[in-house]
Amino acid sequence: MSERPYVLASGGLAALGAAVAGYLTYSHYAHVTVACPTSGCETVQSSAYSEVFGIPVGLLGLVAYLVILAALVAPPETSRWLVLGVALSGFVFSTYLVLVQAFRIGAFCTWCLASDAIVALIVIVALLRVRTAEGAAAGRSG
Amino acid sequence: MVLAAALVLAAVLIAASLVSVTRGSPSAPDGPRPLIGAREVSDLFHGLPQNGTVLGRANAPVTMVEYADLQCPYCGMWERNTLPVLVRQYVRTGKLRIEFRGLAFIGADSEIALRTALAASSENRLWNVVELLYLNQGVENSGWVTPSLLSGILTAAGVDPAAAQPGSSTVGRLQAQATAEAQAAGVRATPTVEIGRTGQALHTIDTTSLSPPPFQAAVRQELGS
Repeated sequence: MSERPYVLASGGLAALGAAVAGYLTYSHYAHVTVACPTSGCETVQSSAYSEVFGIPVGLLGLVAYLVILAALVAPPETSRWLVLGVALSGFVFSTYLVLVQAFRIGAFCTWCLASDAIVALIVIVALLRVRTAEGAAAGRSG
Repeated sequence: MVLAAALVLAAVLIAASLVSVTRGSPSAPDGPRPLIGAREVSDLFHGLPQNGTVLGRANAPVTMVEYADLQCPYCGMWERNTLPVLVRQYVRTGKLRIEFRGLAFIGADSEIALRTALAASSENRLWNVVELLYLNQGVENSGWVTPSLLSGILTAAGVDPAAAQPGSSTVGRLQAQATAEAQAAGVRATPTVEIGRTGQALHTIDTTSLSPPPFQAAVRQELGS
């Protein structure tokens, strides 16, 4: 099977993630209220955990999604591992942020959870892509 | 190799986040942060009677008492998720009155936040201040209760910040009274929520879950009894 469907799926997910992270970054710098069904988004966005040394977590997410998009057009061997690596880092950090929301802040940000779900899906797609590529390589050598 | 690098990167990010929170990021404590929830809190309590630390009609058949520290994250969770439901469903319909008994055991931020809320009780705006503090709650003892935050909250609650007297003897008396009542009631954790028919003995609601259903059920049970 070609890697193309995985590349397209990763690209679509990363673009969606960049839009979400971009919106959170915009709302952070513009000091505007995040459109949210509960007050959780604002509570999380205004907490001390919303920044890492002054850098909004949303901006970190936006950079990660843009790196993933850029990595998708790199040569396949580099691309598949770079996408998996960045997505996996993002997934582990997102998991930490979900735990922070649950146990430290006591509120959930819907947009942040959406981004967490997107990065988890990118990890899954990236793993499937690596498995497919390695299967094809084994087939060629075997 | 890639997986190890990814995990190392994630670990670095998590460590940086924790260090950043501990130190307090440059714009965190007293930066130009907009006040959260001013309009929502104003709408929530609009037209409801407040008398000192009590919210709701004096003749409401059921009384609820909340023991809470304004820095306690779980109290914040309860106030943000459950209180608005109870207010709309039972306080606004005259069935429930809620009394706030504030405690300040977590640290200095608790103390000044509580004193400010109690100062607002003299103008019957304590509940607005309490709810706004919970909506804008920061990390425990990080210095999040800044003068500018308190001033913004008091103004949003309709209290003149210059006229509020958190250091008054009345505030001290209210605080000491709540602490004594908490000790007498055997309060060991916050939030502790008690309920009962107005004027009769209260009993503690199990706060294992801080979501609305158990509290709604407790009110319904008292109304039916």
